[in-house]
Amino acid sequence: MTDPAAGPSGPLIVQSDKTLLLEVDHPAADACRRAIAPFAELERAPEHVHTYRLTPLGLWNARAAGHDAEQVVAVLLEHSRYPVPHALLVDVAETMARYGRLQLVSHPVHGLVLHALDRAVLEEVLRSKKTAGLVGQRLDDDDVVVHPSERGHLKQVLLKLGWPVEDLAGYVDGEAHAIALDEQGWAMRPYQQQAVEGFWHGGSGVVVLPCGAGKTIVGAGAMARSGTTTLILVTNTVSARQWRDELLRRTTLTEDEIGEYSGARKEIRPVTIATYQVLTTRRKGVYTHLELLDARDWGLILYDEVHLLPAPIFRMTADLQARRRLGLTATLVREDGREDEVFSLIGPKRFDAPWKDIEAQGYIAPADCVEVRLTLSDSDRLAYATAEPEDKYRLAASAPDKNRVVERIVAQHPEDQVLVIGQYLDQLELLADHLDAPLITGATTVRERERLFAAFRTGELRRLVVSKVANFSVDLPEAAVAIQVSGSFGSRQEEAQRLGRIMRPKADGRTAHFYAVVSRDTVDQEFAAHRQRFLAEQGYAYRIVDAEDVLAG
Amino acid sequence: MAGYTQALRARGEDALVALLRLRPDLAVPPPATLRSMAARATTRVSLDRALAGVDALVLQSVEAVLTLSGTAGRERPHVTAGEVAHTVGLAPEDASRPLRDACDLGLLWTDPDVDDDALLPAPGLDEALGPYAAGLGPSLRATLARRSTQGLARIAVAVGLPDDEPAPEDVAAALARPEQVHALVEQAPPGARQVLDALTWGPPVGRSPESRTADPAASSSPARTAVEWLLRAGLLAVQDSQHVVLPREVALALRDGRTHRAPALAPAGATPSTPQATADADATQHAQEVVRLVGTLVTAWGTEPAPVLRAGGLGTRELRRVAQRLEVPDDVAALVVEVAGAAGLVADDGEEQPAFAPTLEGEDWLTRELGDRWETLARAWLGAERAAWLVGSRDDRGSPRPALDPEARRPWAPRLRRSVLEVLAGTDATLAEVTAPPASHVRAVLAWRAPRSAPPEHAVEAVLAEAATLGVTGAGALGSAGRALLADAAPGPSAVLTGLLPAPVDDVLLQGDLTGIVPGRPSTALASLLEEACDVESRGAALTVRFTPSSVRRALDAGRTAEELLAELSRHARGGVPQPLEYLVLDVARRHGRLRAGMASAYLRSDDPALLAGLAEDPALRHLGLLLLAPTVLVAQATPAALVAVLRDRGHAPVTEDPSGRVVVAGPTRHVVRGTRRRATQAPEDLPPAAEARDRRLRRLAGDLLAASAPTPSDEVAPPGPAAPGAADAAGTADPVLALAILREAAAEGQEVWLEIADPRGGTVRRRVRPLRVDAGRVRAVDAEREAELTVAVHRITSVSPT
Repeated sequence: MTDPAAGPSGPLIVQSDKTLLLEVDHPAADACRRAIAPFAELERAPEHVHTYRLTPLGLWNARAAGHDAEQVVAVLLEHSRYPVPHALLVDVAETMARYGRLQLVSHPVHGLVLHALDRAVLEEVLRSKKTAGLVGQRLDDDDVVVHPSERGHLKQVLLKLGWPVEDLAGYVDGEAHAIALDEQGWAMRPYQQQAVEGFWHGGSGVVVLPCGAGKTIVGAGAMARSGTTTLILVTNTVSARQWRDELLRRTTLTEDEIGEYSGARKEIRPVTIATYQVLTTRRKGVYTHLELLDARDWGLILYDEVHLLPAPIFRMTADLQARRRLGLTATLVREDGREDEVFSLIGPKRFDAPWKDIEAQGYIAPADCVEVRLTLSDSDRLAYATAEPEDKYRLAASAPDKNRVVERIVAQHPEDQVLVIGQYLDQLELLADHLDAPLITGATTVRERERLFAAFRTGELRRLVVSKVANFSVDLPEAAVAIQVSGSFGSRQEEAQRLGRIMRPKADGRTAHFYAVVSRDTVDQEFAAHRQRFLAEQGYAYRIVDAEDVLAG
Repeated sequence: MAGYTQALRARGEDALVALLRLRPDLAVPPPATLRSMAARATTRVSLDRALAGVDALVLQSVEAVLTLSGTAGRERPHVTAGEVAHTVGLAPEDASRPLRDACDLGLLWTDPDVDDDALLPAPGLDEALGPYAAGLGPSLRATLARRSTQGLARIAVAVGLPDDEPAPEDVAAALARPEQVHALVEQAPPGARQVLDALTWGPPVGRSPESRTADPAASSSPARTAVEWLLRAGLLAVQDSQHVVLPREVALALRDGRTHRAPALAPAGATPSTPQATADADATQHAQEVVRLVGTLVTAWGTEPAPVLRAGGLGTRELRRVAQRLEVPDDVAALVVEVAGAAGLVADDGEEQPAFAPTLEGEDWLTRELGDRWETLARAWLGAERAAWLVGSRDDRGSPRPALDPEARRPWAPRLRRSVLEVLAGTDATLAEVTAPPASHVRAVLAWRAPRSAPPEHAVEAVLAEAATLGVTGAGALGSAGRALLADAAPGPSAVLTGLLPAPVDDVLLQGDLTGIVPGRPSTALASLLEEACDVESRGAALTVRFTPSSVRRALDAGRTAEELLAELSRHARGGVPQPLEYLVLDVARRHGRLRAGMASAYLRSDDPALLAGLAEDPALRHLGLLLLAPTVLVAQATPAALVAVLRDRGHAPVTEDPSGRVVVAGPTRHVVRGTRRRATQAPEDLPPAAEARDRRLRRLAGDLLAASAPTPSDEVAPPGPAAPGAADAAGTADPVLALAILREAAAEGQEVWLEIADPRGGTVRRRVRPLRVDAGRVRAVDAEREAELTVAVHRITSVSPT
């Protein structure tokens, strides 16, 4: 069955545990990557061998995108270096055959209807406790009415039951509103174009792009493609303003057409930017701002930083299944493991690009990641060893010796814009003091933040100390050095987002530097190892140096 | 019986040897005469064994001959091959193979006096095949013999015979003619046809309608009328008070002379097939995996033997630990353990606390080549009298069956495995494609090949699953190595497997995220290095590993230094050792050994450092193994009691203390030993004798039999007809099997025999009797001279001779 021409020399190794290993230095690696991308999830992309995984979700998404099991099997056989495990091929075929036995269709009389192509499957899912209350009257042997409001929930449940439903009910068109890209002096990059196309073709879904790779442009492109009123959900007010500025710059939209719906302002315009926070505000147990979702006949809903989607938004999203949804993120990893919910409610991953690929194309700055290991002083070690377990991380992360190291690193980059990022406010205050730099925390007013960020952008300010408020959606193009002194435990996406702050391509093509200062032999070091995993898997190999060398050098 | 014996002799030596080879139970122990061999061959047990191995077509042919040979209206009991072909529904040329097989097995025989094409069933077959062979009832002759004279006369008239005391044979012959049966059925009242239809294709027994209800209203129901009419006409017979039975000849007539609806042909139909390359790839993968699993088990038990249950075997909890350790499901773990046990790689060590530990052979096995190791396992599995899939299921007493249970010998297991694999091996496999039949098909083929001993489907499934796990099969089809294992010819399975293995890879790609990938099968050196220094994340065609602090520490614990480890890694690493990995190794090494542990039996502590220093230096105390750990702490290799005693002798005044530091007064301790039971170890498996030696032995036996029985006159003289008492004495037999055979034969034919019976006083009495029944260890017989019936326990019979 193996093609002898490609057989022993193919770039792909198919493991029986459903991982696919792609040797990137192989001449045929690119062709193979393109071939397997529709159905395999990229799991790790370090320097030599990229790991993909075959998951039921990925296979079903491939089915939804029009690929069938024969194609998948043929691709595996064509590119595999060794014989492909037989059981895996059988499993692929069986898994893919489960998709689409059930369909959601629009019935002219009964509205949304669950239609079965396989009666036994319908019987099975209707007997499940999980579908109780989601479906209504049984029309005949093969059809059952679905409450339109439960469309998202039902899809999710059926996915969990292993019988993913093919949603043929379509989307509402939404209120039309002319939006066009204003491509003067810039153009959409090829991968952005692909992302927009991928999303539009699939209907709804998530686009994963590295930080600094221009996700806003993808959003704007999707809006232009849709040409309808759009609701944009973002993480905070600063980010909302950045979105507005970017849209004004990149599209034909005018200020009057863009509204902000936040704690400060409640404007509803053809394009409305709202924060997650305001949507999830509750008064007396009631979400008071939910009417926003129904305020207009939105044709497109955009979720920025979709990996942060809070639980109430998940529930609300379940009710919005008839509208097109686009999720944008750089790091679709959640420490709570709810990535699957993002996929089932927003939609499958429509576009994903390894960070290193985008870097190779020159759209994000190359980055040099360094972990600085600091040996604690004896007194600190004793304090750490005897501390209560819940205090240990705090003690280790905010070790006073870190200040000297940070000072030293800052001194090594006199010409660069330096961000110092941390978790603990007292530590940050101390550092701001040492470095004689302004500090931005959650307590800083929006106006002050914007002023400081603007000064930093223009180069007026060279040093800035920030808390976790700057983790996301803060656009600082010229920042070239980030020093992380502490973080929220082992959060992988925080680490990636922080690196993302310095990854905008620099005017002179400089390399960005990312430093993580870590206390040796403490939980700080363990958390750091966990935090680095996402980036390491994206091919950002951390160099580890001793603090003593930094201080001496 | 005599005819059968004669037929055996007429076979000649070669055919006799063939028979003995096909039915080994006839040769062990060696029979003294052909007559006793014939008697043995016609016992129920021996016939059952012979029938267990025949295929469905042979069985049908034997049934056909048996049922036809006794039917009324035949000129002679012999059945021709043409008749068999017709009644079974075969083309004449297709019938010759099953009939020849049946004759070879001694299930059928041809009367040498008549002609070649005259088949007879072996005596005893009617009993072995059960009362309703081919779904046919007793013969008309038997059913009519039980009728009253008037009843018989009525039937005789109905079939056009004179009614003056007709013989049952004549009536049966007349009634058995198909046209006569059909004519009678034409006249039958309504409902009779349905009754006959229900019984025609068997089972031939039905409940009589009157037995269902005593209600007189029902006595005139059409069904009852019909049955009564049929009974009167002789088309049905009374079986007992509640049942009626359809006589054989009537059923045959209704079946249009057929004994079977359709010939049992080998199950055909398209079975899925798969390319040999795919099967080989999959099988090779599994073969490597099972060798690795057994290797891990042997290594693990080497350091930590698994305790043996008191009743023998490996307990459920231990098995689960093995499963966890190997990261496989419980059933695979059971198979791994059983295969390791069957191959003799692990065994009960027979210590006081018995435990399973690797044998010397197991240690040796670990060092051998992969192909060799696999062959050892596969051969052990194929021949093991064990059923790993039953491990964990409940036995009759409701307790779970342990793995490696010394009592659980299942002699049928090797046969089952071989027969299942032989089905897979198939005949229609081409070089490129091999069949991968599902379990249901395998079971159907087995059921055809040996309908009387077909394995249950779950056993077939279990064997197929085991074969897949062991890499004997791949993708559901027999792999090349598995085929070599089955064929037992050169090149051996080991060589075939080695030829199929992909070339080993000696490089590993180390990456910045502390993972490494071997893009292929790692070489032995690389595999052991990685096994030691990292955690395996994924296995298969390639090996993915991850370095963690604990995995690196493991390597350091095993005695490597950081420098050695890095040197080894960089020697294998294609792209060099990335900095984070290098740092990890050095960082772990830095912390390695910061805490030191050692062994000591006692300690001494004192507030006086000078005193302790003096003791440590004292040459007279050197035998205590004193070591100064700190200025105020000494440890000793001697026990606290010895230490205290010696120190007291030297004039010191030590006291002992307990773990909390309190002073204790040491009293003498008493040692109590609990008796332990020793377990017998499993007897070594006896190997099957070499084929040639067996053949030589059988040939000698056949020669002896033919020579020994040639001069015996009793064989030459047919038993019917009077014989001189002297001759009877000569034929009198003490061989219990033969004696029973003679008694059965006599009972069947109504002959009289001389019976010598041990009486209660220890003497013997000799009676001339007509045996009626032989069953349940008793013989019921009529003594015609004394007009008495007697029942004799078989063990009291000392000899039997035909009259």
